[in-house]
Amino acid sequence: MYRQGDVLIVPVAEEAVPAHVAHAPRERRDARGRLVLALGEVTGHAHAVVGPGELIREPGPFGPMLLHLPRGGRVVHEEHAVITLPEGWFRVIRQREYVPGSVRIVAD
Amino acid sequence: MSGNGTDMSGAGMSGAGGDSGADGNGAADTAGTEPADGVATNDGSVKPTSARGDSADTTSAHGDSVDTTSTDDGSVDGLGTWRTWARAIVPADRAAAEAGVRAAYRAAGLPEPERIVWAGSPRAAVSLIRELTDRGACVRDVVRDAPWAAERARLHAELGAGGWSEHWAATGGRLWESTQALVDRIRTGVLEDLAGGTTGKEATAVRLLLLEAVLGQHDAPWLAAFAPAGGPFEALTEVCRSAGWWWPYARVAVMSERPVALHQDEAGRLDNGEGPALAYPDGFALHAWRGMPVPADFLTELATLTPVRIHKEENAELRRVMLEYYGYDRYLKDSDAKPLHRDETGTLWRIDLVGDEPLVMVEVLNSTPEPDGTHRTYWLRVPPRTRTAKEGVAWTFGVDAEVYAPSQQT
Repeated sequence: MYRQGDVLIVPVAEEAVPAHVAHAPRERRDARGRLVLALGEVTGHAHAVVGPGELIREPGPFGPMLLHLPRGGRVVHEEHAVITLPEGWFRVIRQREYVPGSVRIVAD
Repeated sequence: MSGNGTDMSGAGMSGAGGDSGADGNGAADTAGTEPADGVATNDGSVKPTSARGDSADTTSAHGDSVDTTSTDDGSVDGLGTWRTWARAIVPADRAAAEAGVRAAYRAAGLPEPERIVWAGSPRAAVSLIRELTDRGACVRDVVRDAPWAAERARLHAELGAGGWSEHWAATGGRLWESTQALVDRIRTGVLEDLAGGTTGKEATAVRLLLLEAVLGQHDAPWLAAFAPAGGPFEALTEVCRSAGWWWPYARVAVMSERPVALHQDEAGRLDNGEGPALAYPDGFALHAWRGMPVPADFLTELATLTPVRIHKEENAELRRVMLEYYGYDRYLKDSDAKPLHRDETGTLWRIDLVGDEPLVMVEVLNSTPEPDGTHRTYWLRVPPRTRTAKEGVAWTFGVDAEVYAPSQQT
């Protein structure tokens, strides 16, 4: 597994990916053609994947997002070093913080 | 590996993944439909230019193909125009807004209002409406509600339940949560200012007037889902682009200015430690710290906090605000807190608080060095039962401590 700031990227075995994911809608790329894993709305900084692949929102045990990189890819961010990912499927998890009575996501 | 969310406490959690529409019916948050595009104009506002694309352009790239579909308004989700309007803090474009209002009456088959009057804020608008004896009946239903209900039914029939849900999730749903939270806060603020609270006869009278408002800029989520340019909602879109809330009555339309200040955090919550988080030109303002409403004078006190003062605060919510503002790291140092546990992921700290659950935090080093070669330290609050630093860090990602083992961190 890989961590870039507040995003954790966990490999998922191909046989564990639910069959319906093949037909699920894909996330749109941003204006720069990247797959955005997490976006800081105020800073505009994004954890994003450059290269061929697909990002699927998938509620449940494999979600909230599944990333498929048929040839591997690079995860970039304005404030973090690049992470190179091998080919395969990944679960993308956004970091959260405990707040009594609720939980909120972390944005770096 | 445990599912993300197994440790969530309470109903107020915000799951990872950002905005999910309250009206999204639990559907996957998906992309593929395109709202009205826009171009920036030189007055800082944004003007719609083209029709929404066919809603059937859902991308279906598989395998090696690269989906190059992207939005051209500079935002990741194509909603930048609507987001800009919803958050606009520039003076109303009164001429454009009034033209939009008149057009909305005509589109509804009504005669134009005899008068259009302006107020500095929704609070001032409500006060003004209460003094207007000749305004006529509220016509919001025919101007907005009925056409919207018809359009929603049409889209629902055309796209099917799942298709509508996906369309909403890709458009209005992404703006809904933060916009609606703002609307609710403004309503509460007006109620508290004019009626001294949210209950009682006076509050009911104010609340009824607030419910007659068309939300102007804050109608952006629904309009993003509905409005192709040139369509039946062009007039309402024009007012959304140009002004704040407005009240349509048969003889008079009452308009509100937009805010002059709006501060929200990354999660879209009202947030400002140094002044109003939301302010209108006539002085109506809301104060909040990371979404929590606070009294205006509370913010003044934040600048002079001491650990003793924080410890003495009896209101647990205000104490949390004080702790966040003071800085957990500073408080840990100043209050001689002792580390509970250290390992390769970081340090676990605990502070016992009177009348509240203990504050347990992991201290983590940012893996990518700053330009000066140092590593930024940050603190994340974790559930009070956490026993090791690794367990705490793993919790922040919703995974079990035994499986949390990044091979690379930046």
